[in-house]
Amino acid sequence: MVADVTTPSTPVTGTGGGSRPRIRKRRRPVLPRVWHFLSFGAPGVLIYLCLVVAPIAISFGYSLTNYNPFNPPIKYVGLRNYNLLLHDQEFHTALKVTTILTLIVVIVPNVVGLLIALLLDKRGWLYNALRGVFFTPVILSSVVVSVIWTRLLDSEGPVNEALRGLGVHSPPGWLSDPDFALYSLASIVCWQQLGFCVVVYLAGLQGVPQELQEAAAIDGAGPFRRFRAVTWPLLAPALTINTVVMLISAFKMYDYVKVITNGGPGAGTTATIAFDVLATGFDSNHVGYASAMAIIMLLTVAVVTAIVLRLLQRREIDL
Amino acid sequence: MKRRSLLALGPAAVLAGGLASCSVKDNTSPSGGSSSGSGSVSGDITFLTFETPNLNAAYWDAAIKRVTDKNPGIKVKKLVSPTADGRTDYAKQLLQSGQFPDVMIAVSPAGFAEAGNLYAWQPAELSAFVFPTANPIKGKYYQLPANTQTIPPIYYNKKVFTDAGIAATPKTWADLLDASSKLKAKGITPFVTGGGKDGFASSMILAGLVSVDIYGKTPDWLTQRRADKVKFSDANFVAVLAKFADLASKGYIDKAAVSRDYASTEQAFLDQKGAMYPMGNWFASSADGKHPFDIGIFNFPTSDGSLVVPAYTGGGMIVSAKAKSLDAAKAFALAFQTDKAQLDASVKSDGLFPAIKGYQLPTDVGPVFKAGYDLYTEGVQKNAVVHTFRWETADDGLLPGMADKVDQAAEDLTTGRKSPADAAAFLDSEWAKAS
Repeated sequence: MVADVTTPSTPVTGTGGGSRPRIRKRRRPVLPRVWHFLSFGAPGVLIYLCLVVAPIAISFGYSLTNYNPFNPPIKYVGLRNYNLLLHDQEFHTALKVTTILTLIVVIVPNVVGLLIALLLDKRGWLYNALRGVFFTPVILSSVVVSVIWTRLLDSEGPVNEALRGLGVHSPPGWLSDPDFALYSLASIVCWQQLGFCVVVYLAGLQGVPQELQEAAAIDGAGPFRRFRAVTWPLLAPALTINTVVMLISAFKMYDYVKVITNGGPGAGTTATIAFDVLATGFDSNHVGYASAMAIIMLLTVAVVTAIVLRLLQRREIDL
Repeated sequence: MKRRSLLALGPAAVLAGGLASCSVKDNTSPSGGSSSGSGSVSGDITFLTFETPNLNAAYWDAAIKRVTDKNPGIKVKKLVSPTADGRTDYAKQLLQSGQFPDVMIAVSPAGFAEAGNLYAWQPAELSAFVFPTANPIKGKYYQLPANTQTIPPIYYNKKVFTDAGIAATPKTWADLLDASSKLKAKGITPFVTGGGKDGFASSMILAGLVSVDIYGKTPDWLTQRRADKVKFSDANFVAVLAKFADLASKGYIDKAAVSRDYASTEQAFLDQKGAMYPMGNWFASSADGKHPFDIGIFNFPTSDGSLVVPAYTGGGMIVSAKAKSLDAAKAFALAFQTDKAQLDASVKSDGLFPAIKGYQLPTDVGPVFKAGYDLYTEGVQKNAVVHTFRWETADDGLLPGMADKVDQAAEDLTTGRKSPADAAAFLDSEWAKAS
């Protein structure tokens, strides 16, 4: 924050030409500004400190201990938990699962959502109704969605019964086959998040000036060219929002995993880092170790999100 | 071995219950003897319960009322766990947030006890229980050993067995494989298993196998595992894992079932999607309901046909050591667990075998429950009861978090993702992490 205010220089009448104008600096009193800041900013800062910074600091503190609430006393172990994580195969698997899940959940709803938004960017009751249809899953609880899809994708559920009806003798075990389970899980998440991406892209499309489209059309640009040269660049903010929101929600995914697969089938096939953190902390009672996992997860999410945000925002400026 | 000798005392108490009926409190008669029914204790307590379709709000309210009617000085505030399976985790959360309940039912004492959060019952207070020394934690007893559950007997579809030409229920592992082969040849999936969010449904057969093959010969195997004298990767344990994997590789277990939750698994058996259903004896309450086929029950087969009955005794109440009205909490817990009407209700609703001296079953229990109870009683008489692997909760139980790992190993063996040796190595590795 700039503290000094420079007053405009005013030439003094009658002074000789060539002399530099005299600049007068005036310092505003500090106390009123501090009071001003405190009265407006303090509640927000306090809430942020209590609900975000303090828990992170406490978690970091725990991560340097062997804290197990059921096996006192607590001992300081330095970076031992972090060192163990480097060699923990289960954590590496969770990292891999989270990465795959994140890539799918970021890419698929964005691509499909954009296509649907382009198709729905028209006026009329049918399009309004379809927008409602696509957005409905977003307002459902993730647990409800998980339970519904668990039933649908059961080995003897409606999906496989339909496939059998179509002549598929051995339909896949969508949630029971380790080769399919992660992708089934990702598909369910994509299905629910799709509506969000559609709405954000629709909002972005509303902001594309019609004149630009018409000008491009007059210049001979076809639909694809118009999309590439006019629409897509102007959708950059929508892409940024969708990507960052999907990225963060995929990284911290727990609810779907817990209800649909419980991290299985088997060991770790669908266990995300968030799932492992909670299982380690609350089932195995290794709160110190789980805190170290949570800190690593926090840093990963923060760094990746910052990089992605930076790249997308730079793209917005370039365009 | 200690467990066996303790259980050997059981028949005298269980079978001669009618003669010794001095511990079960009947609603119709004034209670006496222990502090449980004195009626003179007073105080406000919180009581953590959980709800299931069988054990609903009305069940708990009626049970609490029966006790408070006899102990008017005790005021009970009922708490309900958000999920039935997550009640122990919920108790952990309440402890962490300074709201640890005064009394909890069917919450595992492991961890709470070691950290000094639970009241250790004195021998005199446990005099009403058949197995007062069940589930010791560092030599003390924190959970009222209120009931016994056999885990897992095998329920079977009698008609399907008859149709497949299976004349007698399997007693040996070879018999079981033979029966499975005949069922498979008829196009029937031999076993109904589950998994998904209820992982225990995937490891029932493995739990039975380890119990009869390992604990049948070495009852204190898990105590030895805690002392690092044995490992999961020892040849005898790997052989058990191989037996289980063999069932899956032969198609006797449906691989797709590993994503099926407990409720759907039970329904699958009742819908005749398979011939045999290895499950705890609590299934008897459903098995005695209306079905288009008759359900039978037999003990989990052993290698040589000898009788080994895996069971778990515990499941009762635990009391917070820091309860404001500790006497009221203790009195409530003891009165609740020994109330005849409550015990009868638990038999009918949850298929439990009350382990209370002098208790006699209601005369109108169903045939499947009765058959399961008779199998257990025979096991007690012949000193053939062992702990059930994965379900133990005390010093000789799995380390916290390991039960889930056992379920995962069972699922990996079922799907063929891990070999028996790999599954054993996985369990050893997870054990090291949990230690």
